[in-house]
Amino acid sequence: MTATPPHPGARRYDVIVVGAGLAGTLVAKQLGDQGWRVLVLEAGTDTLSTWPGHLDALDTFYSATAKVPNSPYRPNPAAPSPDLLDIEGLPGGGYRSHGYFLQDGPLPYGTDYLRATGGTTLHWLGLTPRMLPEDFTVRRAYGYGRDWPIGYADLEAHYRAAEGELGVAGDAAEQSEAIGLPFPEGYVYPMREIPRSHLDRLLATELDGFPVKESEGAPDTVLRVVTTPHARNSTPDPRYDGGRGYRPVGAAGLPNYGERCVGNASCVPICPVQAKYTPLKTQARWDRRVALVTHAVVSRVLTRGDGRVLGVEYLAYDDPAAPAHTTHTAEADIVVLAAHAVENAKLLLLSGLAGHSGQVGRNLMDHPVLLTWGLLRAPTGPFRGPGSTSGLESFRAGRARRDRAPFRIEISNWGWSWPTGAPGSDVARLLGITGDSGQPRGKGLFGSALRATLGDEIGRQFSLQFALEQDAEDRNRVTVDPGRRDRLGIPRPVLTYDLSDRVKRGMVAAKAVSDRIFARLGADDRTAYGPGPFSPGHFRFAGRDWVFHGAGHGAGTHIMGDSRDTSVVDAWQRCWEHPNLYAVGCGSMPSVGTSNPSLTLAALALRSSEQIHRDLTELHRPVVVRAVPAPAPAPLSGGAVPAPATAPGPTPVTHHRGPEGQP
Amino acid sequence: MTAELTGFVGLSVRLTGFDAFDLHATGMVRLYHDTTLDQIGREAIGRFLADLESVGGDPDRLVDETSRDIARAITHLWYLGVWPQLSRPVHAALGREQANVAFTVSPEAYTEGLVWRTFHGHPAGAKAPGFGTWADPPPDASAPARAGAGRGNAS
Amino acid sequence: MTTVRPPAGHTDVAGELALVEEPPFRVPRDRADLHLFLQAALALEHLTIPPYLTAMYTLHPGANRPAFYAVRAVVLEEMLHMALVANVLNAVDGRPRVAHSRFVTGYPARLPYSKDRFPVALRHFGVAALETFLHIERPEYVAEPPGHPSVADDDGWTSIGQFYNTIGAGLVRLAGELGEAELFRGDPRRQVGPEHFYNSGGEIFRVTDLPSALEALRVITEQGEGVDHTVYNTDDRIFGEVREPAHYFRFDEILRQRKYGPYDTPASGPTGAALDVDWAAAYPIDPEAKAADFPAGSEVRRAADRFNEGYAQLLCVLEGAFTGDPETLGRAVPGMLALRELAERLSRNPHPDPARRERGLHASATYEVTDEHFARARGGHLGTP
Repeated sequence: MTATPPHPGARRYDVIVVGAGLAGTLVAKQLGDQGWRVLVLEAGTDTLSTWPGHLDALDTFYSATAKVPNSPYRPNPAAPSPDLLDIEGLPGGGYRSHGYFLQDGPLPYGTDYLRATGGTTLHWLGLTPRMLPEDFTVRRAYGYGRDWPIGYADLEAHYRAAEGELGVAGDAAEQSEAIGLPFPEGYVYPMREIPRSHLDRLLATELDGFPVKESEGAPDTVLRVVTTPHARNSTPDPRYDGGRGYRPVGAAGLPNYGERCVGNASCVPICPVQAKYTPLKTQARWDRRVALVTHAVVSRVLTRGDGRVLGVEYLAYDDPAAPAHTTHTAEADIVVLAAHAVENAKLLLLSGLAGHSGQVGRNLMDHPVLLTWGLLRAPTGPFRGPGSTSGLESFRAGRARRDRAPFRIEISNWGWSWPTGAPGSDVARLLGITGDSGQPRGKGLFGSALRATLGDEIGRQFSLQFALEQDAEDRNRVTVDPGRRDRLGIPRPVLTYDLSDRVKRGMVAAKAVSDRIFARLGADDRTAYGPGPFSPGHFRFAGRDWVFHGAGHGAGTHIMGDSRDTSVVDAWQRCWEHPNLYAVGCGSMPSVGTSNPSLTLAALALRSSEQIHRDLTELHRPVVVRAVPAPAPAPLSGGAVPAPATAPGPTPVTHHRGPEGQP
Repeated sequence: MTAELTGFVGLSVRLTGFDAFDLHATGMVRLYHDTTLDQIGREAIGRFLADLESVGGDPDRLVDETSRDIARAITHLWYLGVWPQLSRPVHAALGREQANVAFTVSPEAYTEGLVWRTFHGHPAGAKAPGFGTWADPPPDASAPARAGAGRGNAS
Repeated sequence: MTTVRPPAGHTDVAGELALVEEPPFRVPRDRADLHLFLQAALALEHLTIPPYLTAMYTLHPGANRPAFYAVRAVVLEEMLHMALVANVLNAVDGRPRVAHSRFVTGYPARLPYSKDRFPVALRHFGVAALETFLHIERPEYVAEPPGHPSVADDDGWTSIGQFYNTIGAGLVRLAGELGEAELFRGDPRRQVGPEHFYNSGGEIFRVTDLPSALEALRVITEQGEGVDHTVYNTDDRIFGEVREPAHYFRFDEILRQRKYGPYDTPASGPTGAALDVDWAAAYPIDPEAKAADFPAGSEVRRAADRFNEGYAQLLCVLEGAFTGDPETLGRAVPGMLALRELAERLSRNPHPDPARRERGLHASATYEVTDEHFARARGGHLGTP
């Protein structure tokens, strides 16, 4: 992309958005479309929004020996990201952490994110279930965690808007009937549901209508396989949008590509054809008034004495490998932090802002995941299609939440890839290659015996993923350590993390449910939990070994609430103490339910954009609107109501040039 | 194609259980040959081939641990595109100059790994089979692939 | 199969060229005539697809990606053209037939609708292949349709553009004679729409009347050769898409290893960014390869036979979608992707014939589809891997 630097000398914008991930991209889209001048500051690089950059990421993924979520994306020492390879389990239990995060909690925070244009959503799986209405009121209904200041009904229209923007494929009638989600009469998703996998069908045959008890004496819970909504291109539904239909949005950077999912089976960490939604698709349709500046690491938010914020200070670097940067400031009427839950908390802490409630950085959450795996008697067709196309939704709601964390069960289409690193680990195992090269090796299989054994075993693999709701606890938190800084001199985040007994009891129930499902399927259960280098999430509970994993759903840290004394942001994700400072993203969620959170994040971002627009309109009310003759650029000095954009279309990206026009 | 490459293909057929067509079809013959030579050295390969010859070309009958580990490594390379760590004693016995670390020899080597073919699959992230194919029943994984065609057909 | 000697200058094509049937040199007179012309257009759009695919599938793994994507984009547009022609043919109550042996020409074939005896062969990615593509897609003088005084002396077609303009003239004439509604009386349920067809180089649209039929012809001719005196096609105007050079200029970019810039014209040539091409990173193949060249019983032969059978199956899926339920069109995609893999696997294998192997030649997919293949394909399972 060619560079069009912001107007020389221009320092003021209507809005500064910190972070070009999902939340920031949507806020910038909404405000840019309404004519506001938006500066988006992105700490990472912009390589991935070009097709050659995308292909480089694909090659990097192919070449990686450990195909973790961040494996396609080149490390950036100037804006480091946490990586799953940063934590390793110890032989006798416990874990060791290195890399960007400093971790001092009883258990490791096993969730990563990505600091680059497009953000962590580049490597999301792309599942977009809505939260359940009862997820917003867990304290009132079930006596744990924290309640939202808004409910499902307040967010419903924004859910629909987010489903349109992200391009969701799903079956709304089934979501309504099987899960009880309320939709407006006749609502359909933009695209028809992603077809169920063969494995989903196998499981549905055995499990639909099958009652299970999660413990002795517990009531029966009836199982049902339900297809999952995805932000992934499927068959457009001509009924969408009052019969206007929907045109799938293909790849950013290559025409006529990615208009359908073709089953690459690598949504995480990278969709090769970009059939999966990423913010790059929205950025390609940003209004030209949205200016993206990459290589710009915001170091603090600047304030006035009265609580209002002035803008941000950011550090611009040129070469991610070179230890050099320059310091800049940018000013705006409103600042929106959209840098990820951990990064938002880090910035608020470093800026000394929003501290009244004492909750900044606290209530860090994730969806702790318990994996179970085994072999079916017949081939499952593993490693085909999106990572999960259906789930078992019966344990997400209801009275059992009083006693244990609820959970959503994802049926994995990718064999044992998550629990064991299959199929690579299967090859090594059958060849007799052990993890420790100092240990004696097995005899090993060769030739047709090796080929046939691999084919038979891998071909029958399946696994279940139990994603548990983690309740908000203020002991789970992000702090910063001024004594330990990243390469630009910014203090690094310290994570203190643990699982509550409520979550652990949820895992006990989940495992019991898994045992009953495996028995019903006649599956050969190979699930095994124990300490070891690949099990940093090992712990003991109820007399047994357990291993949990992070879901990549970092949340909490600047939770919303209805009181300035107990929460960081209000229902609009606006800091209570700073009327022109917003912190958006999963960090605002006071509870996370059992839904993959990105769709809810998107709905919240769209909702907040409406309030930001109202705030800006209020701020600019006295000024007379002047018509700006096209095609002359609109004035960039502050204070005037922006004229409508004269030419819609993608905004060229500037490469690390600050508003001052200097690197 | 040189006699040496032909010999490498013949050796690889015995190690992997895939026929020459399948091995050539990866486009990786020369790269894997060169990688093996680079990692082990011509002299050690010569000893390995002689050892394999002495047991009638059947890798299952290899007794010498160095020969067995070389057989493991070449097979691992074909199945995953990754040259593995050798066992530490073998690494020392060979007096290798290279660091004993696993690496993917090229991006395409990953996508050409034979492991995916064992269960009639495709590599995660490449050779996508098309919208909705995941809903179809997989071919019977216990039946060996038909030589020369594998799953690469529309039937 | 009718054949003709190739011209001098293409010495690697020594054998005879297959002749593609052309409709008589006249404006379609009635509905049956129009069906004949549109069926010929369908075959013409298909003719170039195997050569383009062969260039893509002979690339070394991972090599020449910019060239791969450029050829791919053109192939997708040819597939769109096939679907558009099928929509026009269905709209005028015809029956698109693609699953019979005469639909697939033998290769090398003589380029139809042209005075030149130009061979269209299945060649590996390289200069000769690109020169073929440039010749096929070249912008040329388009003479008036037959019957016009300026072509009174001609006894045959002189360009593809002329052929399509003649179909357009026939549509206009017959709409006048029969009435537009009567001409476009085809079953609208046969129309392929955007929910059936994707990644298609512009969005497919339904053909229901004269304007949409003429629009379909316009897309087909303009995507290929460009508009007037510019490098670019009209996708941005028709589909609201990113401006892209027409086929000819995209191939020219590869051959000259340089992109066209926004202000470049056919006269200026490409002056934009460099485009890296590694001409050695392709498997050389025999441009006249036949499956029978591969020894019976060999692994390569079995794979080549399976490819041809798979291609027949693919065409059966297409015909089913064009003549029955367009919903089934999606099943063609898995078939195409499976054929792609089989073609790539073939071309990575050395030619089994020692003499050709000695020359460095590799095996290849031959696109020889016989009635036996179709008979077997109709009896077999479709679309499931």
